[in-house]
Amino acid sequence: MPHPPPGTYDAIVIGGGHNGLVTAAYLARAGKKVLVLEKRPRVGGAAVTEEIFPGFKFTMFSYVVSLLRPEIIRDLDLPRHGLHVLPLESTVTPMENGDYLAAWGDHDETRRELCRHSPRDAEAYDEYGRLMHHMAHAVRPILGMVPPDPTSFDPRDLLALLRLGKHFRGLGAERLHALVKLMTMSSADFLDEWFETDVLKATKSASGIIGTFLGPRSPGTAYVLLHHYMGELDGVFRAWGFAKGGTGAVSEAIASAARGFGAEIRCDAPVARVLVKGGRATGVALENGDEFSAKVVVSGLDPRRTFLQLLEERELPADFVSDIKRFKFRGSSGKVNVALDALPSFTCMPGVGRQHRGAFSISPSLEYVERAYDDAKYGEFSRRPYMDIVFPSMIDPGMAPPGKHVMSVFVQYAPYNLNGGWNDTKREAFGDAVINTIESFAPGLKSHILHRQVLTPADIERITGLTEGNIFQGELALHQLFFMRPAAGWAKFRTPVRAYYQCGAGTHPGGGIMGASGRLAALAILGDGA
Amino acid sequence: MRLPPAVRWDAIVIGADVNGLVAAHYLARAGRRVLVVDGWEKADTRPDVGWVPPQIVRELGLGGLKIEHPDPWIAAPLEGGGRLELWRDVAKSAESIRRVSPGDAAKWPEFCARMRRLAGVLEALYVRPAPDVETREIGELLRMAGLGLHVRRLGKQTVIDLLRILPMSIAELLDDWFENDTLKGVLGAAGVWHLRQGPRAGGTAFNFLHHHVGSPAGVFRPPRSTLAAALAAMPGVEVRRGTEPAVVAVGGRATGVRIGGDEFSAAVVVSSANPQQTFEPLKAQLDAEFVRAVGNIKMRACVVRGSSGGNGSRAPLCVAPSLDYLERAYDDAKYGRPSAQPYVEAVGGGTELHVQYAATVDAGLAARVATALGVSTDQVTLEAPNGHLYHGELTLDQILFMRPVPGWSRYRTPIEALYLCGPGTHPGGGIAGAAGRNAARVILKET
Repeated sequence: MPHPPPGTYDAIVIGGGHNGLVTAAYLARAGKKVLVLEKRPRVGGAAVTEEIFPGFKFTMFSYVVSLLRPEIIRDLDLPRHGLHVLPLESTVTPMENGDYLAAWGDHDETRRELCRHSPRDAEAYDEYGRLMHHMAHAVRPILGMVPPDPTSFDPRDLLALLRLGKHFRGLGAERLHALVKLMTMSSADFLDEWFETDVLKATKSASGIIGTFLGPRSPGTAYVLLHHYMGELDGVFRAWGFAKGGTGAVSEAIASAARGFGAEIRCDAPVARVLVKGGRATGVALENGDEFSAKVVVSGLDPRRTFLQLLEERELPADFVSDIKRFKFRGSSGKVNVALDALPSFTCMPGVGRQHRGAFSISPSLEYVERAYDDAKYGEFSRRPYMDIVFPSMIDPGMAPPGKHVMSVFVQYAPYNLNGGWNDTKREAFGDAVINTIESFAPGLKSHILHRQVLTPADIERITGLTEGNIFQGELALHQLFFMRPAAGWAKFRTPVRAYYQCGAGTHPGGGIMGASGRLAALAILGDGA
Repeated sequence: MRLPPAVRWDAIVIGADVNGLVAAHYLARAGRRVLVVDGWEKADTRPDVGWVPPQIVRELGLGGLKIEHPDPWIAAPLEGGGRLELWRDVAKSAESIRRVSPGDAAKWPEFCARMRRLAGVLEALYVRPAPDVETREIGELLRMAGLGLHVRRLGKQTVIDLLRILPMSIAELLDDWFENDTLKGVLGAAGVWHLRQGPRAGGTAFNFLHHHVGSPAGVFRPPRSTLAAALAAMPGVEVRRGTEPAVVAVGGRATGVRIGGDEFSAAVVVSSANPQQTFEPLKAQLDAEFVRAVGNIKMRACVVRGSSGGNGSRAPLCVAPSLDYLERAYDDAKYGRPSAQPYVEAVGGGTELHVQYAATVDAGLAARVATALGVSTDQVTLEAPNGHLYHGELTLDQILFMRPVPGWSRYRTPIEALYLCGPGTHPGGGIAGAAGRNAARVILKET
């Protein structure tokens, strides 16, 4: 390959989120001259660590790691670049009656705890775990595969479809049926077939609603349950983990790997548009007017920005534009970051102890979570929301000043399209609902609060650029997955504009700090001989 | 007529409903001696709602059968007075919609054509047993490949529509197309028919298309016929009513049917009853996995039927003024209550009511239905539902090769010589006789 003239690149990656960085690293690793352009002062997108209050560091948006693909960790040698994941070992769910349900790192202890609630469920728990493990295995090859185009008559697509069919048939009847159920059912219905303890079903089903605008009784949530199970697969991360230094450290490690392969990363460099000549992307223009040319342009932004903001509509086929316009985002999650002078004590498990090294799940019953969804369905934030609470300073003391703590609260639901729109008053009211709800399970919390930051989907959109604040760059709904992500016929990371590619979570296989989209996009670009 | 129990029948069919009778007549036509038994004293005289596959009309010689669609097929009160009426004639409906939304009127013909094409794909799927995805048989594989080719020949847009729309919620689908709440309410109601799900639930777009099957483009309520009555009047099978029948099986093989104190023996037993009911007396002979799967079939009753006396309206009247109205009606059901403001549809001038969501008839329901229809409470008569009309909700995890339970979609059961042929099997309720015909064809091939 001839070396490009100075000032031009083999590839420009728009957006320094973790997927963009992964794409850049893989392209640079293959010897390409790569430039990453990030609009914010730091890389990471929604995976950033920031010192929001002096001495208190927060993983501002995302908060846990488990889905990062092991082949990426291996290929990019991320541990050498500072990636260090600390296990998040337990989940405690406080119940309304003062009791709790806990899952501990130790399997036998969890089993004894479940037995306390229901011996039958303790029995089913292992069998359920085995099934989900098998299902995650069954789906894993799909995560690492470029989706075939079901509408094409290209023999390669037909062959890939056949191979896919063969893969599923190879699972055997029982697992195939379980997979169909997981793809189509609600997490509540799916769990109803296994368990009787309500608080167990509520806590399990919560991972089926994360990032969606659906409730535990909405069909389609069982798939998200499985999506979140993937992380429990590989030897690398046995469970949900917390990156030392926060999720920003994951981004930094990938960025460091990319730089190590020779990629150039520029922050404070917002891209205004993609330059297109004769149906072919030739480079990008920054908001300040600077232009860079490249043989290939890759967007790590979500589909709406990738196509409707960075390009002119006339550069795209009309039916594709309408497909992208109806791609659903509907951000539903908020985040509350709190600086504490001491850890709160939960009524169900008084004092401070190992429980604070894990997560607290505010999901006391299925009805509780479902009602939280009902509020959002009609345009209000949940008065009593579902929350996933972690204390990163308990796992990585470097996150807060000595003796002090940070609390990270992932909250659902906070609908992007709030009735009357979001404003400062609404944001604080939402923050109050969050704190008051936690306070009801941990009286005294309020007196320990030094600072709090409340982020609504509107804030997430404003700061990171994620459309409608959707943390997955588009809902993980069945009709927006695999060869439909982001649009039928355009799920192979290519776009209708030649030399313009997409690599964000808005492409297959989707969100979570997984990096799979970024890797597959890089492989597709390299495969096209760019 | 008292039948001597000593007679051995070639086949006994449980259930004198459309599917049971269709299965019975197909078996009889092939020369089998068939007895049909039904627990109900009297035949249900209500019209049969749902597509009657033309194959059944042709093969059973039902040339005189009347299959009807009211015209207009629906009328919905408009907020500012007046009604939105939708007709068999697509252009006439568009005219009617134009008064509430010119934008929606412009999209109506295209919407109708696209939905019609998808319903056509379902029709092709419904007149045969569900594709067997686990098969190693070359014939079945070829059939599936043929079906795939058939769909692809309908064009790229149809393939995309199928993949995209089937798993969607009816609310998302309608929001993609239309803006008018009344129109979306009328169409959205078809998406939740006999489903304890709201219009925002994934898979309700499929349920909408399922109920479009057999209707011309632009008509989104199933046709109505008198298929069961026509079959009951047809010679060739014995029908015995009045006592609840139960399957008798010995050592994992069905030997006949018990009715009261009498036992009737048969070479084959075919049940159009609810799978849970059918298998209840046979549990000891079934493996635990199968019993669990049958127990897991979701069939949560949610529709109350009844009548409201004549309201003089020729067009069926639909009270579901918006998708949010339907969703709120569902919210109540989700927490185990009947809807405070139910979705109500009155057909045949009020002679038939469809009230959703309610699993039982509580004290205030009649009054709430009366309010919705604008009639007086004493005009409304409601009957508590006798289980789920479809013997299993038509959710995506309970259709095709997953219906009635995964691995047993081909009318056969783990009990030898016992077959299912009811709406609990593929293609499910709302299709008149397809399951009965599919089942009979399997039985004739296998026994």
